[in-house]
Amino acid sequence: MAEQKKIKVVISKVGLDGHDRGAKVVSSLLKEAGMEVVYLGMYQMPEDIIRAAIDEDADVIGISYLSGEHLVFTPKIVGEMKKHGLDDVLFIAGGVIPPEDIPALKEMGVSEIFVAGSLTEPLVEYISSHVRKR
Amino acid sequence: MGQINESEPENSVEVNWENYLKAYYAKPGSAKTWSGFDVKEIYTPDDREGKDYDKEIGNAGKYPFTRGIHGNMFRGRYWTRREVIGIGSPADTHERMKLLTDHGGSGLNTIADITYEMGLDADHPWAMSEVGLTGVNISHIKDMETLTEGIPLDKVSWSLITASTVASVTMAQYVAVAQNRGYDIEELRGSVQNDPIHFRYCGFRPACPLDLSIRLGCDVMEYCTRNMPKWYYTTVNLYDLREQGITAPQEVAFGFGIAMIYIDELVRRGLSIDEFGPRFTFYVSCHIDLFEEVAKIRAARRLWARLMKEKYGAKDPRSMQFRFAVHTAGCSLVPQQPLNNIVRISYEALAAVLAGVQSLHCCSYDEPICLPTEKGHLQALRTQQILAYETGVCNVADPLGGSYYVEELTDKIEQEAIKIMKQVEDVGGMKEAIRAEWLDREFEKEALKRQKEIEEGERLVVGVNIFTSGPETQTPLGVQRIPSESARTQIEETQELKRTRDKKRLKDRIKQLREDAEEGRNVLPAMIEATKAFATTGELMGTVRMAMGYPYDPMNILECPF
Amino acid sequence: MFLPRESIEQTVQKILAGDRRTAGRLITRLEDGDEWGKEVMKSLFPRTGRAMTLGLTGAGGSGKSSLLNHLIQRFRKMGKSVGVIAVDPSSPFSGGAFLGDRIRIQHHTKDDGVYIRSMASRGYLGGLARATTEVLRLMEAMGFDVVMVETLGAGQDEIDVIRLVQTCLLVITPGMGDEIQALKAGIMEIGDIFVLNKSDLDGATQALRSIEAILSLKAFKEGEWKPKVISTVATSGEGINDLVEGIMAHQDYLHNSDAMERAAFQRVEQELGLIFRDELERVIFKGLRGTGKKRRYIRSIIEGKSDPYTIVEEILGTFLKRE
Repeated sequence: MAEQKKIKVVISKVGLDGHDRGAKVVSSLLKEAGMEVVYLGMYQMPEDIIRAAIDEDADVIGISYLSGEHLVFTPKIVGEMKKHGLDDVLFIAGGVIPPEDIPALKEMGVSEIFVAGSLTEPLVEYISSHVRKR
Repeated sequence: MGQINESEPENSVEVNWENYLKAYYAKPGSAKTWSGFDVKEIYTPDDREGKDYDKEIGNAGKYPFTRGIHGNMFRGRYWTRREVIGIGSPADTHERMKLLTDHGGSGLNTIADITYEMGLDADHPWAMSEVGLTGVNISHIKDMETLTEGIPLDKVSWSLITASTVASVTMAQYVAVAQNRGYDIEELRGSVQNDPIHFRYCGFRPACPLDLSIRLGCDVMEYCTRNMPKWYYTTVNLYDLREQGITAPQEVAFGFGIAMIYIDELVRRGLSIDEFGPRFTFYVSCHIDLFEEVAKIRAARRLWARLMKEKYGAKDPRSMQFRFAVHTAGCSLVPQQPLNNIVRISYEALAAVLAGVQSLHCCSYDEPICLPTEKGHLQALRTQQILAYETGVCNVADPLGGSYYVEELTDKIEQEAIKIMKQVEDVGGMKEAIRAEWLDREFEKEALKRQKEIEEGERLVVGVNIFTSGPETQTPLGVQRIPSESARTQIEETQELKRTRDKKRLKDRIKQLREDAEEGRNVLPAMIEATKAFATTGELMGTVRMAMGYPYDPMNILECPF
Repeated sequence: MFLPRESIEQTVQKILAGDRRTAGRLITRLEDGDEWGKEVMKSLFPRTGRAMTLGLTGAGGSGKSSLLNHLIQRFRKMGKSVGVIAVDPSSPFSGGAFLGDRIRIQHHTKDDGVYIRSMASRGYLGGLARATTEVLRLMEAMGFDVVMVETLGAGQDEIDVIRLVQTCLLVITPGMGDEIQALKAGIMEIGDIFVLNKSDLDGATQALRSIEAILSLKAFKEGEWKPKVISTVATSGEGINDLVEGIMAHQDYLHNSDAMERAAFQRVEQELGLIFRDELERVIFKGLRGTGKKRRYIRSIIEGKSDPYTIVEEILGTFLKRE
């Protein structure tokens, strides 16, 4: 009985940022696109997120940044991912991110950025075509 | 004028004439308001048949205040052009405040950052990397001194935006500084947001458990009512609720539900409704559907007046007046084609003024991108000034009153809001709706609906699902950065203060605060005294938290040092 | 690429050494129904069956996750390591799932002695995911002292968890009186312990009485376990001590009677059934794949030339003859 391969996504907020409307909506929409979404909620530190991603064997880590903290936390998250060998896991960032910071974030190791206001289809499309195969 | 050379476009544009025709014959896709009310092609006197002007509408300044709380509205005084400011350290914020005041801002308005709202000092492990990114953290009295340096506190009107339970500390810090400088606190004018109940919906649940929110929120309200007659002690925040994606009537209904929790508590404490009623204020959103927002506010005014009179037995007309500030809707703005946001903000500001607002904050166009740049901030202020000085819309109170459409919509929104308030009653009342997370479910439902409406093209947003262009590469007026120096300095100063202050004096004051908190007394006086003894935000909050059975540190890392 | 060349032996060693990443990936393979995953489980099987296994079932909103949180804390204080499997329903429309149980226990993530895995039911009926059985075994093999399975629902057809675990907790809340009545006889089979959560709300006394009334209908033999009814308020922690005591009491009962033997028997019986069904389906359809036979069979049924019973007999006949 070969099960259909489901894409597992861990979505989280980092640090003190309390704007979770977007993270929750994206979680619901990814579920409606057939993915299995583990939502971690708020007040997560990079170590906690990566640990959850390991235990849940996530294909994608999605972080929602809405308080200007993206440059502070991204290096830490990428650092943790590298430390635990999560090189085949996609790291997608979303939220309030100035376009000027996008090249820097990608340089740090973010796979792709979907700023606030982005429609869901391009996100689903991106994940489906870039997720690791098994 | 020199000749302007139009440079040759890189690719010659091919016009799709089919699209042109489509644009020519285009018409509105939906005959509904933003919140979903069906609207007719035209409204006529027939729609208003049988309505009693004096009873249901009334002139501005007369119960039920549908048309405005003052008879002469803006002829008496413009609304306060009060741009929200909060950036980096207290010194940085102070700079920005001076800039905007220099350019004509008429009210001071400072906003807490997320570390301060959570009740953390700048040197808390969770605060250190985020302090100053979204507002200003006031860790101790010296920060408040820096923030208010050189400002005549008895002349200005200062709006302190701390919404969480930490508003109690903010109040204590402000009063402490004012008293130290010799001001009579009875002369202080301004407001503190102080709406910790709603703030759980912006995150911050560790800082705002329901009972602590009611306790501290009402301690502030009670203290100010008794000691600061010119101060507005709460600005019940409907704006943040609306930002969750809910409709206009829901905004009113849920906001009023929260307001009533505070009122019930104050009455329980023995205050009479007219003692505190006149200083009760609100923070309201203005979203993009202009007529609906005006109607919403008129409905809110009428509903509030009736509520205060009939449910709470208010006698003083000032208790029945729905006094409000507007923050234009952040959630209506998008980072795609960001200059469009200036236009959106203008329409929303217009709605606020047409609705008779008392104090207005216009978003900066870069709201969905970063903290406001100086230029962005100034642009927001200019938006207000153009409205005030050029358009003439301020010359008449409630200029949209009498419009068959607007009166109809006002009635509809009021009725819908009443229906929703009844729904909340059926769930067991607002406190229960909050506790059982019924309200959370409503917010989640609405947020998902809004997103789907956009994805499916039911709701159109220029730049997002119509008239789109390629991804932005540059923010038009630059990106606001917070210098890392600001945070570092503030952290070091906080640590230095903790090292050098008189520990014995502090301990005594903290002990007093702890006792007052445990014995159910108003904690503000003890907080003020402790602040003067250099107690920090984290220490003040932690002491009260422990007295109420909560861990000292909302993030569960620090132990109580006393 | 997932562990492409790693041998079964290497994987087993890594898992026994506590390599969480390998374990996490193995669980995914088990969820996928992977051949390789099964081979690894064969090697790990001798190390299973050693943990205290608990099930937590109940309607949405009953506070299961909050109770789970308290239980994890208590067991950790007792020095026991804890594995948690949290099952949530897959959408029948999209096949996706929102796995939101972890959020209430996520702060345990920092603790090396806790392993939390969320699983989507993927259309499997019974309240569990198909691979929950294997994942439970895996967590036992990893050495966790306690493994808890949190499932969805409490309807009478969502109770596979009962045969899977040693001690099953059914969580109910006041105001569910009617549902309890409707379950009536069935409720006997569902729980070893009934947890009345949110017992500070109105209707708690009535709910307690309803359950006790139903329990009194059954005659318990000498030495047989009579389900305990424990009141809790998960948000404040009230009643958790009693709950843990109740769980340990049931565990004692199991160890001191033949009930443990029966529980183990039921578990393996259910497991065998599941794996057998899977294998049969897999082998049969493997044989048919690429031959176009399956499509022809289905077409002939639609066209009325045959019926499902005859077709299955035919397939089995061919298959058995071949073997």
